[in-house]
Amino acid sequence: MSLFVAEDLFKHFGGLVAVDHVSLAVEPGEVHALIGPNGAGKTTLVNLISGLLPLDAGRLTLDGVELTALPPHRRVRHGLARCFQITSVFGQDPVFDNLLLAVQAQAGSSFRCLRRRATESAWHDRALALARTVGLDEVLDRAAGALPHGAQRQLDVALALAARPKLLLLDEPLAGMGPEESAQMVALIQRLRTETAILLIEHDMDAVFQLADRISVLDYGRLLASGDVAYIRDHPEVQAVYLGAEAAA
Amino acid sequence: MTPTPSRTARVFPWALLAALALFPLLAPIFGLDYYVGFVRHGLIVTIAATSLNFILGYGGMAALGQAGFIGVGAYTVVALVEAGFTSAWGAWAAAFGVSAAVAAAIGVVSLRTRGVYFLMITLAFAAMLHHLGVSLRIWGGDDGYGLYAPLDLGMGLGDAQGRTLYWVVLALAALLFAFLNRVAVSRFGYALRGIRDNETCMEALGYPVQWIKFAAFVAAGAVAGLAGALLACHNRFVSPSLMHWTESATLLVIVVIGGLGRRWGAPLGAAVWLTLTETLKLYTEYWRWPLGLLLILIVFLAPRGLAALVEDPGETA
Repeated sequence: MSLFVAEDLFKHFGGLVAVDHVSLAVEPGEVHALIGPNGAGKTTLVNLISGLLPLDAGRLTLDGVELTALPPHRRVRHGLARCFQITSVFGQDPVFDNLLLAVQAQAGSSFRCLRRRATESAWHDRALALARTVGLDEVLDRAAGALPHGAQRQLDVALALAARPKLLLLDEPLAGMGPEESAQMVALIQRLRTETAILLIEHDMDAVFQLADRISVLDYGRLLASGDVAYIRDHPEVQAVYLGAEAAA
Repeated sequence: MTPTPSRTARVFPWALLAALALFPLLAPIFGLDYYVGFVRHGLIVTIAATSLNFILGYGGMAALGQAGFIGVGAYTVVALVEAGFTSAWGAWAAAFGVSAAVAAAIGVVSLRTRGVYFLMITLAFAAMLHHLGVSLRIWGGDDGYGLYAPLDLGMGLGDAQGRTLYWVVLALAALLFAFLNRVAVSRFGYALRGIRDNETCMEALGYPVQWIKFAAFVAAGAVAGLAGALLACHNRFVSPSLMHWTESATLLVIVVIGGLGRRWGAPLGAAVWLTLTETLKLYTEYWRWPLGLLLILIVFLAPRGLAALVEDPGETA
């Protein structure tokens, strides 16, 4: 059985159909890439899956648990974590405090208001471990907003990993990165695939072909094709709408 | 990662508490009796401002209806007195509870909105409460309601008036201050500030954002209601003008000049605001002119609030 199943997802904004009966499945340990031209509905789809937008129709299950009616934070508890297209760390706070905040979200009730948080020493180890995973353990005291762009995206990934996700949604993790930063992020994603399945939205086709086990192509909100790298690379319709220019070049 | 507070920072709150506790005993010697009531009022305003600072400064919720909850607390006392109830603690606890319930009802609706819309909707609810107060004839309507006999504190403390009421108010304000400082470094405090800084990200991290905001909003409403109940005992009079939107706006100004999201923000803001208005009124009937100019000056010199100058003078904005 697939780890994650999205069945027949549908979303419209007024008269515009943004996601048109899309079905997807992600297998355990798989990196499933979602590609498509700008405006194809990729980010809408991610927001539907993570719960930031309500579904008009469709069904979501992760590891046998139905997520469809759950609010975003409950989906996270069930193992669905995400990173944003726009870096969204807490810029004023040090890297370490960012990580602590992410660890706290998974460590029981956040309604306790009498015990000092500083006494929760187990969290410190977990936060440090996360920093090591993404290679930020040297800059724990730096303000997150002052880090280079690539490092902020890595922190973003670490924040999502705090939830020990079964499925990690990465929304354009390479956007705006230089070649060196991109290579680091690709290496990070390669390391993460042993821990969690990944649904990867990305424009950088080199990275997608390098990382993905399976690729799904969206166009005008519809699922155009879904298959392994070779299948998608040779798919005539996909070449026409999306890879056209690159394939010709 | 929190720096250890300096010696001065640790001693100062206790010294201030001692000075405030001794003030009613020393005031008569210097002929300052009038100012015992003034400070008592200031402490109640501090409690109300603290409630706003909690949701606005720590929680990022720009509420412009805090005076509504003050009114609910004050009118709860009126209702109980009208019914023949005389226990001060009972009345204050009831005011706390009723305000919490009203805040919960208002919060369910208004917390669906954010930013300016939240500000408008809390303002609208407070305006509705104000009109309700005006139309309630049994409690005096527009003319207000006089509380002729003071409430009873029991426990050998006697009536809730004069110096006794002063010390009780001081104790409540000090407890609230200590409690808020603890909350600020607790799980809840960190979660609340995280929501202020980036709500979407907190949601994605798995925080029950709406519930955390709701809990903070209800707590703040309850504390504002308590301030209203104390104010009723302080003034021995309750009228709908307590709930006028300008009262909410004054609290907002107090918190902003004092320092949003800072532990000394509410006390410092209340002290400066009340001292300025009181002093300027001595000199001129047109005290709002110089007050406005002074506020503009404060906003330019201390854009992060007066408390920021004291708490971390070196920090850059």
